[in-house]
Formats: sequence, C-alpha cells, structure tokens
Amino acid sequence: MNKRLWRRGLSAFWWLTLFFLYLPLAVVVLFSFNSANSSASLAGFSLRWYQRLLGNEQILSAFANSMVLAVVSSLVALGIGCLIGYGMYRHRHRKLGWLIVLIYLPIVLPDIVFGISEMAFFVQIHEATGWLRPGLGTMIIAHVTFQIPFVALIVYSRFVGLDPTLFEAAKDLYATPFKRVQHFMLPTIKPALISAFFLSFTLSIDDFVISFFTAGPESATLPIYIWGAIKKGVSPEINAIASLMIGAVALAALLSLIFNRRRPA
Amino acid sequence: MSNRMSAELAEHSDTSPTDQEVATRKASSIELHSLHKRFGADAVALDGVDLSIHAGEFFTLLGPSGCGKTTLLRILAGLEAPDQGTLMVGDKELTEVPPHRRSVNTVFQSYALFPHLSVRDNLAFGLKMRGLPAAERDARVDEIAAFIKLGDLVERRVDQLSGGQRQRIALARALVCEPDVLLLDEPLSALDAGLRSQLQVELQRLQKRLGMTFVFVTHDQDEAMVMSDRIAVLDSGNIQQVGAPSEVYERPANAFVARFMGHDNLFPILARDGLRVQSDLGWLELHKHAGQGDAGDCLLVRPETLEIGDVVPEGYNRLAGVVQERLYRGSRIEYVLEVNGQSLMVVASNLGQQVHQAGDAVTISVCPEDLVTVAA
Ligand SMILES: Nc1ncnc2c1ncn2[C@@H]1O[C@H](COP(=O)(O)OP(=O)(O)OP(=O)(O)O)[C@@H](O)[C@H]1O
Ligand SMILES: [Mg+2]
Repeated sequence: MNKRLWRRGLSAFWWLTLFFLYLPLAVVVLFSFNSANSSASLAGFSLRWYQRLLGNEQILSAFANSMVLAVVSSLVALGIGCLIGYGMYRHRHRKLGWLIVLIYLPIVLPDIVFGISEMAFFVQIHEATGWLRPGLGTMIIAHVTFQIPFVALIVYSRFVGLDPTLFEAAKDLYATPFKRVQHFMLPTIKPALISAFFLSFTLSIDDFVISFFTAGPESATLPIYIWGAIKKGVSPEINAIASLMIGAVALAALLSLIFNRRRPA
Repeated sequence: MSNRMSAELAEHSDTSPTDQEVATRKASSIELHSLHKRFGADAVALDGVDLSIHAGEFFTLLGPSGCGKTTLLRILAGLEAPDQGTLMVGDKELTEVPPHRRSVNTVFQSYALFPHLSVRDNLAFGLKMRGLPAAERDARVDEIAAFIKLGDLVERRVDQLSGGQRQRIALARALVCEPDVLLLDEPLSALDAGLRSQLQVELQRLQKRLGMTFVFVTHDQDEAMVMSDRIAVLDSGNIQQVGAPSEVYERPANAFVARFMGHDNLFPILARDGLRVQSDLGWLELHKHAGQGDAGDCLLVRPETLEIGDVVPEGYNRLAGVVQERLYRGSRIEYVLEVNGQSLMVVASNLGQQVHQAGDAVTISVCPEDLVTVAA
C-alpha cells in the first residue's frame, strides 16, 4: 500500500518535471500558429508569422549567418577534433592527465568567461595587426574552439571502444599508413564523426553568449537577433523563429544520438 | 589466379600435383638469430632466442603465460621490433621491414575482424590493400571460401558469426593472401573443448595440404603435441628445448620441460653408481641411453611405462608400493601409489585386468629403457 503510494508519487513527479520542461516550448509553438496579433489570446490557426519571416531581411540574414557559422565551424572542428581524438587515443598509455584536463576545461567553463576572454583576445589582435575584425570570422574561430573538445572526446571514445588488435590486423594485411586511414580508421569511426558533426552543429546554433561577445555589427545570428527584437516585446514572429529553431535543434540532436548509438554492421 | 589454391582444389582430379610438389612450392624457412626484447627496465620478454624453422613446417611455440610467445610471434609479424638480433624469412632479411611489406600474415587471438566490413570484404581486405583488381579479389575469396568450406558465411555480417566461425574467417582472411609464413596466436583458446579438438585436426590437415610454414602459439601441451611437426618450449624468454613432440615428451631436456609436458614423476637423483641411480624411490637400474644425469639432476619415470603385477620380467626394476588413490578414466586407470614414502603416478590401459583398490599392496615393474634422466 505504502509502496504503491510511493510509486504514484514518483510517477507524478516525473510527469510534473516533463510538464514544466516542455510546456513553455509547447506554448511558443502553439502561439507561432496563432492568427491573432497578440501573445495573450489564441484565435484561429494561421501561418502568417512564418510567411512574415520570409519577408524580413534582417531575419533572413541572421538565419544565413547562423547556418554559415554552424556548418563551417562544425566542419573545421570536426577536422581538428578528429586529429586530437586520435592523438589522445594513440598516446593514452602515457601519463597525459593534465593534457586531458585541458581538453575538458572549455566544456565546463562558463560561456560568459569564454566569450569575454575570446572577445578581449580578438580585440587585442585586431588593434595590433588589423586582422580578426569582429564578424563571422571571429565567431567561427570562437565556435570551433568550444566545439573541438566535444568532437575529440566522441572520436576518442569510439577508438577506445575498438579492439586494439584491429590496428595491427590492418598493418598485417598490407595496408600502408595512408590506406589504414582510408580503409580502416575513417570508415570505422564514421558514425562517431557524423554524430560529432550534428552535436557541434546543435551547440553552434544554440549558442548566444559566446556569439554575442565575438560578433561584429553585420554578423548577428538568430539568437542575437531574437535578443535584440525581444527588447521591443515578444512578437508572434519571434514565436515562429523559436519554433523553427526548436525543430532544427531537435532534429540535429536526434541525428547525433542515432549515429552515436549506431555500431557499424 | 592463385596456383597453390587451385592446385589444392583440383586435388582429387587426375591432373593434381602430388603432395610433395604442393609442399615444396612456396614455403619459406625462418631463421632467428639472438633475438632480445625487453619492455621497460625489468620485463625481459625475449632473452637471446636462436631458432631455425624449416620451410613447410608446423612449428609450435609452447610455454607458460608470460614466457614471451606472443612477443616472438609479433616480432615475426613486424608488429614489434627486437632490441637486438636478426630475422630472416627465406633468404630475405626482415628485421627492419614494416609489417605491411612482409609476406607474413597473422591469425590473431581475438580474431580482429573489421566490424565495419562484411565477411566478404574482410576476406578481401589484404588483397585489396595489395592492389588486386576487384574481379580477381572476388575469385580468390570464393576460392578460399570453398577451400575452407565457409559456405554461406561469406555473405554474412561479422556480428552474426559464432566464435568458431569467426576463427575460420580470421584464418581464411590470412590464408587468402598466400603468405610465406602464417602466424597463429592461440587461435583456438577461446573455443570449447569439442570444437577445439575438431579444429586442431582441421588446421593440421590444412597446413599439410598447403605445405605453408605455420608458426603456432599455445600454452596447452596436448594441443602442441597433436598438431606440431616440431615444438619449441619457452620459459621466461629462453628456449628450453626444440624437438619433435615425441622427443620433447619422452626426452625432455630439463625438469622445467618435463613438468610443463605434464610429467609428475620426477625424483631428484641422490647418488649414481655406473648405470644405477639412487633416488627417493630407491636404487634403479638405467639403460645406457638414459642420459648422463648426475646428483642434482632428476630421474623421470613416465606413468604409462609402469606395469602393476606380481610377475617382474627379467632385467626389470622392481618397486613395491601401496595404492593410495584410484581414478577411473574409462580408457585408462590412474593410480597414485606410495613407494618409499613418495607418491608415484601409474597409468594403466583399461584392458580388463584386475583393478586394484586403495590400500592394496602391489608390485611395479620398471623397464630400464623407459627411465630417463633430465637436467634439473
Ligand atoms: N607491451 C608490453 N609492455 C610491457 N610488457 C610487456 C608488453 N608485452 C609483453 N610484455 C611482457 O613481456 C613478457 C612476455 O609477454 P608475452 O605476451 O610475449 O607472453 P606470452 O608468452 O604470450 O603469454 P600468454 O600465454 O599469457 O599470452 C611478459 O612478462 C609481459 O608482461
Ligand atoms: Mg600471448
């Protein structure tokens, strides 16, 4: 009897948690389809806010910036992180504790600290050399920096999960170093790479703080645009952008999860 | 097309070459000279190994865990570099050659099949890396699949295979490359006893049909004796003895080899007088070929050479003992006897003779020719 009550309580707690997590999201999505011009009352169903987005130059450019930033930074981080992940694997028997901590640090560092230090760094370099003017370029560099640890760790854990004799089998079966990369290592870690790409992509689309500090005047991304627009009040348009972002990020996260789970056949 | 394999497939047709022709076609001999290998400061894996392995031989490295078998095999494969010493395969010096440029293939203990590839692509991997065109790769894979009777396993995924099937695929993947030397590191140790003895026979037959040089690693002396042409017994990085299974078993070079080959009846020699030696069993007469053992060495009495019975033939040694324990094993009966306060093991074939009970006093005949002295 007591036990049943306890179980019911737990289950109620679970549903309550889900409710508070997802209700705000559901409200945003719901109001994005609202035909009324207010965020207070629901009228009928309409797609006018989505149509409105297409006519808004600023939003379109913010969207383009977000996409370019996410795709380019994820690809660069994939390349570098992959090499670091392999290096960590190759030298895992050495005592590299402090190096590994250095890789983890950006993951746990508060974004605001990261963002401010990157900004200060870029500004100094810009003043000294004229390079690295705040803009999409500096944002890409900043995003790559915080994506690399995630990629490296995903790749590293994929390698660690492999039978180490596979590397020797490839050597033994006449694969030159280059062919070992092409025919053994890359195909084997492909799911991990795809997963790492979508995770980086999600992190980049998500990010506001670091982008905010490293952006230039013309390189506003969607979160930065929303931040600016919201000062004038939450318009239904914002609901529409937010809903699209929820959809995109959920999709990327799902893909990341699927590919990370997948063990090659 | 690979000549050797097609020759094998045609084995039963009129045009098939004789076994002799097949056997001398491509096998390579191996010469190891003074190989040293240590890991870190104090882990000596190989301590000066000299070894000649003949072309076309089934050669086994036998020894307890940690004696350096795997290290020796990995040096042959090129996966480990010796600190000192040289390695020749055929007339080529391979000491410095990287593994991907050695015509040597390995069957790994964990099988090491590539999880991202199908069985067929696993089998074709080595050929692909060597740059063979796809059509030829396919033909060779089909050939080896027929040769080792893989059947429809070839079209499966690696994760759909049982342990025994993986083992065969790993073997086929190495064989299809037609290496000069095939290395096998305890390939059967993960399999259950039944499958294991079946594969022991298969592997040995296969080696004879191919005439390829096999270097096989095991820590199981029965397996080594069943399969090998010759055995090298290793202990802590040193070769203790090299010889045919019967030599190593019947005339072990020292007490370590004797114990490792499963002999329990070893008795320190206390004194020697011509062909007579004294041990805890008492004085026993030896044959003149028994060996030169002196005080400090050991007398080896093989349990299966002892005979229990009241009639002691002319010229045989006579021992008196009491049955302590009897183990009935079906085809044979094992007795543990007490002789002069020592335990002596006797193995008798079960031929329907009288079965002794614990506590029985018995007489044992020992033929002088069956006694061997071994270095301590
Ligand atoms: N990579 C390594 N690093 C340090 N020590 C090693 C390494 N490889 C082997 N050794 C040491 O060298 C010795 C021989 O090892 P090896 O693997 O050759 O033994 P083995 O005869 O194959 O044993 P097993 O029957 O257990 O496989 C052991 O003492 C082992 O601890
Ligand atoms: Mg080993």
